[in-house]
Amino acid sequence: MTPLLEARELRKEYALGGEVVRAVDGVDLDIAHGEFVAIMGASGSGKSTFMNMIGALDVPTAGTLRIDGTDIGALSGDELAAIRNRKIGFVFQQFNLLPRTTALDNVAVPLIYAGVDAAERRARAARRLGAMGLADRMDHTPAKLSGGQQQRVAIARALVTEPLLLLADEPTGALDTATSEDIMGVFQRLNGEGITVVVVTHEPDIAAYAARRVLFRDGRVIEDAPVRERRAA
Amino acid sequence: MSGRLRRGLSGWLINVRIALTALRVNLTRSVLTTLGVMIGVLAVILAVAVGNGAKVSVMESINALGSNMAIVVPQPDRRGGQRTGERGRLTERDARAIERLVPGVRAIAPQLRSSVQLTVPGGRASSSAIGVTPDYGRVAGVDVDIGRFVSDLDERTAARVAVLGPSVAAKLFGDFDPVGQSVRVNRVPFEVVGVLQSKGSSFGNDNDDLLLVPLSTARQRLASATTPQGPDDLQLLFVGVEDGVDLRQAKRDMTRVLRDRNNVRRGETSPFTISTTEEFMEESNTVTGVFQGVLVAIASISLLVGGIGIMNIMLVSVTERTREIGLRMALGARRRDIRNQFLVEAAVLCVIGGAIGLALAVGAAAVFESVADFPAPIGPGTAVGAILFSALIGLLFGTYPAIRASRLSPIEALRSE
Repeated sequence: MTPLLEARELRKEYALGGEVVRAVDGVDLDIAHGEFVAIMGASGSGKSTFMNMIGALDVPTAGTLRIDGTDIGALSGDELAAIRNRKIGFVFQQFNLLPRTTALDNVAVPLIYAGVDAAERRARAARRLGAMGLADRMDHTPAKLSGGQQQRVAIARALVTEPLLLLADEPTGALDTATSEDIMGVFQRLNGEGITVVVVTHEPDIAAYAARRVLFRDGRVIEDAPVRERRAA
Repeated sequence: MSGRLRRGLSGWLINVRIALTALRVNLTRSVLTTLGVMIGVLAVILAVAVGNGAKVSVMESINALGSNMAIVVPQPDRRGGQRTGERGRLTERDARAIERLVPGVRAIAPQLRSSVQLTVPGGRASSSAIGVTPDYGRVAGVDVDIGRFVSDLDERTAARVAVLGPSVAAKLFGDFDPVGQSVRVNRVPFEVVGVLQSKGSSFGNDNDDLLLVPLSTARQRLASATTPQGPDDLQLLFVGVEDGVDLRQAKRDMTRVLRDRNNVRRGETSPFTISTTEEFMEESNTVTGVFQGVLVAIASISLLVGGIGIMNIMLVSVTERTREIGLRMALGARRRDIRNQFLVEAAVLCVIGGAIGLALAVGAAAVFESVADFPAPIGPGTAVGAILFSALIGLLFGTYPAIRASRLSPIEALRSE
């Protein structure tokens, strides 16, 4: 079976103040369907740039990156948007929910761009929120939800288009320890149901929930190994 | 409805909902911004309405003259060429010749006009007296409300009788029936034999402030400095033309007849001027059209300023919501989805402003109509046009901010605070 993500000699360079910065400098990496991978590294290690590319938010300067078999370097802006919409679910550190918009409407946003009609949007969003244990919070705006609840809404939103990859960028960065454990437990459960999860983090405790750990430094992968003492929530 | 169309429509509806949420978040700002468009739309609609009112007024006053008619005045025709020192001439015999020789003439109404002082016991007024023949009523489209019109006998005997316009009757006699009463016209006693039906006013000009007397009587009794030189000279001639007759052709025929009678040679200026109601219509339509155009152009400036306000606030909104834009892009919004979202937001803002502006304009027009006695009609076309135009302003001035939003890089946008 082809891997979900397949990076070959992947490079991303920026021109910054007349100097060329090699943010990702030749990365070969495969992530198979159903894996739970933690991507680690200090700031400036290239992990964020790598994440942007596997999230189809950015395209490589050189090398290839295939997402579910599609080389994203050859895609137009609209095609990248379609990949983000259908194949990837994003979870952010700051939750990024729309203010003054109910949990239900927040979860339904990706379905607008998928061209799903209003009734089905509501039904699918409600089902996802229910699965996140938020059936009684659907009409709440983010301001009325706790941090953990907000992140659950965000996860429901990420899952609503039934993507192949859940891509979380420091998902516990704004949460306390107990809530962080809770959210990582949600990721483990979802992974158990079959979805591929990639968590980008600089916290070893959080990375320990994953099954595989990839460490970035200076734009390269310097370590790629299974997590030995895996935590379970 | 096909699925594709329905999806497209629901996409726009979603954008309207997003826009309304966003506008509520910054309610004060939205209201202040939309104020510009509101005032702009108000100004433009009022300009259109006043222009329409002018057209209506002009039409009314032309129709008050009588619908299919030529007016001949003894003034050298300046439209034909250079001004000459020659004096104008128009006589009763000329009028008879037109009646006899020009095909399609229904009736003629030769006139002498003079300003007169009217006195009755306990009242006085000044007005203008028109010496007319019995056909005047038919040609000019006026009839008596009470009493009778000037008769053939009156005309033949130069009877001292007068038919009063309603305003004059009211001024001199109040609520009393003036028929049979005596009125002194320039100190000469006349008997009031009738009162005309009201023809209202146009452009604040009272069409009822006049009195009619027999032409022969006017010539004998009311002769003044304004009276022309010859014994049967006229100041004004109305020529009523049959319906369906080409007024341009009738005018050519009249010109030929009068030029022959006056021995005017080719290349010389006619000593008379003929205008037709058709020409009045055309001319006044041109004039009121220009008038309306100028008003609308001036009013449009305020709408332009309103539009610039929209653009300004949309740029602020895009900057403030950069993170939301990045998020939407990450969730799968294409560039055109983002662009449309902000276009719709600008259009919604403008349409709300336009609708309020329209409502205010309707109110203002009603006030204007009752206070200034000037019609300012706002038709359904104007109303729908105003709303559509507001939306257009929104789309126009929203385009630049919307395109700017759609061109943001998703990564940069997500990273912004």
